[in-house]
Amino acid sequence: MSKPEFVYVIYIASTPEKVFEALTDAEASKLYWHGNSVDSNWKVGSAFALRLARQEKQDITGEVLEYDPPRRLAYSFCAHDGSDGGRPSRATFELERQRDQVKLTMIHDQFEPGSDVLEKVSKGWPLILSSLKSYVECGKVLYAPWYEERPLATKNAAGAAR
Amino acid sequence: MSKPEFVYITYIGTTPEKLWEALTSSEFTRRYWFNTDVRSDWKVGSAIALVMDGKTTDVGEILEADRPRRLSYTFKHVSDEELKQEPASKVVFALEPHGKVVKLTLTHEGFVEGGKMLDGISKGWPAILASLKSLLESGTAVAIPLAALGIEGIE
Repeated sequence: MSKPEFVYVIYIASTPEKVFEALTDAEASKLYWHGNSVDSNWKVGSAFALRLARQEKQDITGEVLEYDPPRRLAYSFCAHDGSDGGRPSRATFELERQRDQVKLTMIHDQFEPGSDVLEKVSKGWPLILSSLKSYVECGKVLYAPWYEERPLATKNAAGAAR
Repeated sequence: MSKPEFVYITYIGTTPEKLWEALTSSEFTRRYWFNTDVRSDWKVGSAIALVMDGKTTDVGEILEADRPRRLSYTFKHVSDEELKQEPASKVVFALEPHGKVVKLTLTHEGFVEGGKMLDGISKGWPAILASLKSLLESGTAVAIPLAALGIEGIE
């Protein structure tokens, strides 16, 4: 039987360079990722972190596994929330130029069968990547429905989506 | 074992009404759906035909039309010799508003094991829905060349 994985394909009217930049830039990520921001020096083997805007949650941590701008980016991904049992999974982004747009394929894999990771990332990535597309194409971002119930104190996060 | 199906979720900065219109009006679909018309009166039990560049590619029957929340129809390919051997499948569009954003969940199910239809639509829908999102948000559809998808039997 094949191992569980999450695969999401989205097309973005932009260049691979701009999409890659948005994936690796802390300030840009803060806008489309609802106040969360990527943090790394992006050298293979270096630490990766997703700094979470909601302070009560522990940052997602990992390691840069691949950094090949503007084609491929991969990092390991440990959520520290009990969903993955403390074992990192892997997030990979593949960027392919198709005429005047980019085909972005996002794969989240290497988690244990039966863990909660698949369900969690299946809910999260479509929104993040939809928001990324809006951000890159029209400078707009989409807000996260689940942030509605508990608004953030920081203006930059949920507020940026309005 | 779970049945083979395709599920795709995207979030679009629009209203359910506008999204419904974009899914059911040929004026719209032509712009983001590989120049495809969607022909139907959108009443439950009525026929639907997908007509690409004047050629009917898929036909079906409206199963649900709960504007602007839920739309579903059967989906039978009638163009490619090999693909048209496969049985009718079923498409469901669920539209859920969240403030200024609509969560669109597309579910396409009812495929035979080992068929080629599932692979084809798995390549097609992300491109169609990406283009639909761009059209509604920025007014410009992302023109993805059909040939770039590499669907067997479809050029």
